[in-house]
Amino acid sequence: MTRYLYDGTAEGLVSAIAQLLDSGTDPMLATLAEREDTLFEEGLFLRTDSDAVEALFSKLKQRAPDAVNAIRYCLMGDAGGLGTSLLRYVALALVHGDRINGHLTDDDVKAVVTMARKAGRELHRMKGLLRFEQMRDGAYLARMEPDHDVIQPLARHFSRRLRAQRWFIVDLRRQSAASWDGSALQFGTLEQFSRPELSDEEVAVQEMWRTFFRTIAIPERRNPKLQKSNMPAKYWKYLTEKQGE
Amino acid sequence: MEIQEKLGILSGAARYDASCASSGCGREGSAVRVGNTSQGGICHSWSDDGRCVSLLKILLSNDCRYDCAYCVNRSSNPVPRASFTAREVVDLTMEFYRRNYIEGLFLSSAVMKGPDQTMEEMVRVAEMLREEEKFGGYIHLKVIPGSSPELVRRAGLAADRISVNIELPSGESLQRLAPQKRRESILEPMRLIGTEIGSSLVERTLSRKAPRFAPAGQSTQMIIGASPETDLQILRLSQGLYRKMNLKRVYYSAFVPVNDDNRLPVLAAPPLLREHRLYQADWLLRFYNFSAEEILSDDAPDLDESFDPKTAWALRHPECFPVEVNRADYHTLLRVPGIGPTSAKRIVAARRFASITPEGLKKIGVVMKRAKYFVTCSGRPFEKEVREPLRLRQRLLLGEPAPEPRQLVLFS
Ligand code: SF4
Repeated sequence: MTRYLYDGTAEGLVSAIAQLLDSGTDPMLATLAEREDTLFEEGLFLRTDSDAVEALFSKLKQRAPDAVNAIRYCLMGDAGGLGTSLLRYVALALVHGDRINGHLTDDDVKAVVTMARKAGRELHRMKGLLRFEQMRDGAYLARMEPDHDVIQPLARHFSRRLRAQRWFIVDLRRQSAASWDGSALQFGTLEQFSRPELSDEEVAVQEMWRTFFRTIAIPERRNPKLQKSNMPAKYWKYLTEKQGE
Repeated sequence: MEIQEKLGILSGAARYDASCASSGCGREGSAVRVGNTSQGGICHSWSDDGRCVSLLKILLSNDCRYDCAYCVNRSSNPVPRASFTAREVVDLTMEFYRRNYIEGLFLSSAVMKGPDQTMEEMVRVAEMLREEEKFGGYIHLKVIPGSSPELVRRAGLAADRISVNIELPSGESLQRLAPQKRRESILEPMRLIGTEIGSSLVERTLSRKAPRFAPAGQSTQMIIGASPETDLQILRLSQGLYRKMNLKRVYYSAFVPVNDDNRLPVLAAPPLLREHRLYQADWLLRFYNFSAEEILSDDAPDLDESFDPKTAWALRHPECFPVEVNRADYHTLLRVPGIGPTSAKRIVAARRFASITPEGLKKIGVVMKRAKYFVTCSGRPFEKEVREPLRLRQRLLLGEPAPEPRQLVLFS
């Protein structure tokens, strides 16, 4: 068993996988992990090579388009511990194509597919739970702290949905941001963040939403447990309807 | 009246209406359009009763001329009354949509001056949203029984989904509890909608520009437990609606007593377990190829409270089991308790690589707690032949969470 290391980024991970597979390394005899700058860490470090990443993705797109999606979603998660599984998954996908996603009895495939599903689920959740607030200049701002790095597909979703207004989405956990100016989508990082003041209209609309939210629940059927299991408390911080409860 | 106050009255009045469906229709946002609808359906929140919130569900008005026994808004009840203007509903929808609170609007109404006047106002809301606001989100309109065909048509052209409530499972019950509504004035628009949806689909195969008529289909809703029909009668009705009127969904709503009325049963609690079992059975009708007559019979016309309808069916049909997971086809797998469409598909996919082992079944997501009594894996059974129906029932019951206490139903 040989231990390989990459730099801890998503790109670095895919690049390492590409290089290992290109060099004919047997994925069953290799492990792949994130480098943790300790002095005497054992293992061979693989440098990130973006050309290798692109080459691998274009090969995969032809042979296993669904697997490409699974990898993308998996990488939105904390794929740190999944390096080895992902390596073996990619090797299998290149041989078997998309059928590989059905091969859930294999532990590595199962780990990758499960992580991809989790990230996908959170992305779907955030499409509903993200809240935009209007600021004084008329643009809208949405804040979030998701477990997975979903900002890119999420922003793309809203660029189709809320295309007639200017907005920003910020991920305060990863200090990243997306912006839409009515025609183009941009991504960047946040140096520092303070929430701008809300418009007067915003304050009124939020009050109406809370009124609506309060009155639609059927009192005879109150079920806080079900509410929490569908909408875990970790998301409440930025939910308009959960403020001032 | 302040808009805030109206909103409180008119969303409170709409809450007893079960339907959070906003799925089944994709509409892409174009350059000028505000919004799109997603194929999968998105929940935006969950209210304090645990239900998914995806639409701004409100009544245009609760100021009703009719006097249906089961309804809070009936004319004989002394409740505060309010009506929105079309503009107010349009603005609320747009403001909520821009903040991502909702997928769209679900508009219903009490009967104000009459069916046509009310329906006209509702249709105007939908048309203003589409034409003036270029709103591309989801719109569901309830059709007021007795509205003219022309208004029903306009509703279908502006909305994604339209629905007519069937209200109660039989004509006699409707007559008794909602005397101002006629069964025919409900079935007629349903039929019209079914036909229009069908011909719009045909026209659209010929020309992409042909107008879409209620692209997310037609649904309906009925109240469960306010009248004496059996589950078999209810499922037969649903089956007929799916087959003949081409309905997308039937929603069941456990009767919540809000009025004192000697035509209504006295319930200790809303029949939630029954509602849940009906949804499970309805699921079997739509996705598992079951018929109402397979699920229930005249001898046993009500759903079992202790078992879900599929397990109950399996217990009555020991001759169909055990099923061999490495050979059975998709449809046979579907009939095994503990195996749903997803795991059935996964089983079929996984065994292309290698025979499935017991371990493998678990990984695939089969609910083994239930399935183990009904399957074999490469010829090997999981349980030492517990095939004797009585003992099997016991085993399954012990493994299941205790059912909710039986709800008392007394007809007065
Ligand atoms: S028509 Fe009947 S059910 Fe509808 S609001 Fe009026 S009283 Fe209620």
